[in-house]
Amino acid sequence: MKTIVVGLGNPILGDDGVGWKVADEVLKQLPPDSQVDVEYLSLGGLALMEHLIGYHRAILIDAFASEDEPGAILILKLGDLPNYSAFHTTSSHDTSLQNAVELGRSMGAQLPDDIEIIGIATRRVYDFGEELSRPVADAVPFAARIVIDLLKQVTKHKEEYQPQG
Amino acid sequence: MQRISIDPVTRLEGHGKIEIFLDDKGNVANSYFQIPELRGFERFVVGRPIEEMPLLTNRICGVCPEAHHMAASKAADAVYKVDPPRTAKMLRELLYMAFYCTDHTTHFYALGGPDFVMGPDAPVAERNILGVIHKVGLEIGGKVIQMRKYGHTVVEMLGGRKVHPCSSIPGGMTKGITEEQRKEIEEMGKWAVDFAQFSLKLFNDIVLGNKAYVDLILGDVYTHRTYSMGLVDENNKVNFYDGKVRVVDPNGGEFVKYAPNEYMNHIAEHVEPWTYLKFPYLKNVGWKGFEDGVDSGVYMATPLSRLNASDGMATPLAQEEHDKFYKTLGGKPVHQRLATHWARLIELLYAAERWVELVADPEITSPNVHAKPTEIPTEGIGIVEAPRGTLTHHYWTDERGVVTRANLIVGTTNNYAPIQMSTNKAARSLIKDGNVNEGLLNMVEMAFRAYDPCFGCATHSLPGQMPLEITIRDADGNPLEVVKQFC
Repeated sequence: MKTIVVGLGNPILGDDGVGWKVADEVLKQLPPDSQVDVEYLSLGGLALMEHLIGYHRAILIDAFASEDEPGAILILKLGDLPNYSAFHTTSSHDTSLQNAVELGRSMGAQLPDDIEIIGIATRRVYDFGEELSRPVADAVPFAARIVIDLLKQVTKHKEEYQPQG
Repeated sequence: MQRISIDPVTRLEGHGKIEIFLDDKGNVANSYFQIPELRGFERFVVGRPIEEMPLLTNRICGVCPEAHHMAASKAADAVYKVDPPRTAKMLRELLYMAFYCTDHTTHFYALGGPDFVMGPDAPVAERNILGVIHKVGLEIGGKVIQMRKYGHTVVEMLGGRKVHPCSSIPGGMTKGITEEQRKEIEEMGKWAVDFAQFSLKLFNDIVLGNKAYVDLILGDVYTHRTYSMGLVDENNKVNFYDGKVRVVDPNGGEFVKYAPNEYMNHIAEHVEPWTYLKFPYLKNVGWKGFEDGVDSGVYMATPLSRLNASDGMATPLAQEEHDKFYKTLGGKPVHQRLATHWARLIELLYAAERWVELVADPEITSPNVHAKPTEIPTEGIGIVEAPRGTLTHHYWTDERGVVTRANLIVGTTNNYAPIQMSTNKAARSLIKDGNVNEGLLNMVEMAFRAYDPCFGCATHSLPGQMPLEITIRDADGNPLEVVKQFC
């Protein structure tokens, strides 16, 4: 049972890089011989789907442009997100992650049955900078804790989180 | 200051925004394609070492980081006045060809393709890659995924990472390839050539075999007679990595051919008050507004323009397809913007052939991949053809190599004026006497999708979509109807 944790975002666009910071924290807290893979990506749609091939479970961490209080943490399943591309072809260069996953599965790719998303709310994703705003930075340890707890809570994955032997 | 949009960035709305104004009779008086979110990347990089530019600037865009990596590397070479060894140049170009194959494949099958394969009138829920695959078969879907996988694999082998490569540095590359890797890359390249030929056959069967589609391509709605720009080699053949920028006039005659360090003599930028993005135009023709013709400095920089601006393709199979393209469409240059989708597939074949050509060169495994910079850094310009258009990076540094000023003209920026013209024409052709057809969004999408623009791609935001909003206003500016594709 392979698990991947993906920090999503652009590390030079302020709060948009929060997914990477949380992934950093998760990596620090994982046991050295944990079999959970941690990746840092700036991707969506097809390319993101391709990175999930071969895994049984995925946890994605990303900034959410949201009206919620900055730093609020959202925990969602992929299916909870609206699939806008059902209405039109989606972005000018890609498709939605939901469509990409469906496409991958139809091609026979091994993709996670379970894709969880940890979103950190922010209204500040257009400013250059390698630092997070205060409320979003404050949310990082909590978001990392949630990821670690999610990894622990699923009993069948527990052996992968815990040190071997 | 030149300003550009940055991707990837998390956002849920507000990218492409079209404002359409109707006159008293309910016909289109004018429309504006606005780019509301902009970044000042040139300011951000000031104070950073020039060596960081190939790494930092590939974060400008989640769609084509390889293009920024290459343009910044070439500019950094020029800043240090260092000429990389031939093997290093070939490795860079090889990486770039693999990237091109991936990018053009995605565009055709996932983005532009649905308009044709599913048909422009197909239900919107089917006009996406899933619809395409369901129609043409799972086997073809598997080929698309395989092509992307091979492209990513080569970028990782040569660039150090699958995305946002890091191996191209001032003076060359950080590493070469082994003979074992070379063989592996060659096999993947041969497969890519077959895939490109297959894709052209598919286009031929589905699009060219359907009179309605051909009529759509050749129709006036999507036609503009502008100048065409593209990078060419010493024989005036299309080249994505190196050469001179050639511009032909609307009749196909050479207007200018300039070296990268001469770009400021030929390109100027026009400002409009209703958008942040500037409109580049040919300085020596002048800005005459959003007009077609020889007297207007508007130009396009796209797969179609690259073919128009060249004397042909540098590889044999792509040259055959080039000849068929112009024979079918009535000679050079072609101004029908929907033909860009066909031109893109010809470029896909060229990139795949060039991939095989480069990896078969005996010098490709040479360990001589870096020339040490020894000159004091000053100023440098690097130009490549990004899939979306000519990409120019220009840096000024102090004697320590710290960036003091930067100017970037990205692929899509070149095409902002023609995109504005195309969307305006689509709106005018559709909205009559106050009646707004529900197909407006589809037609406008087709008008700008041909340019493969890069300002609207929320590449990693969840759920990820192209947020396009169209507001139709009466003569007094009051909103009559708002059409959105993201809700």
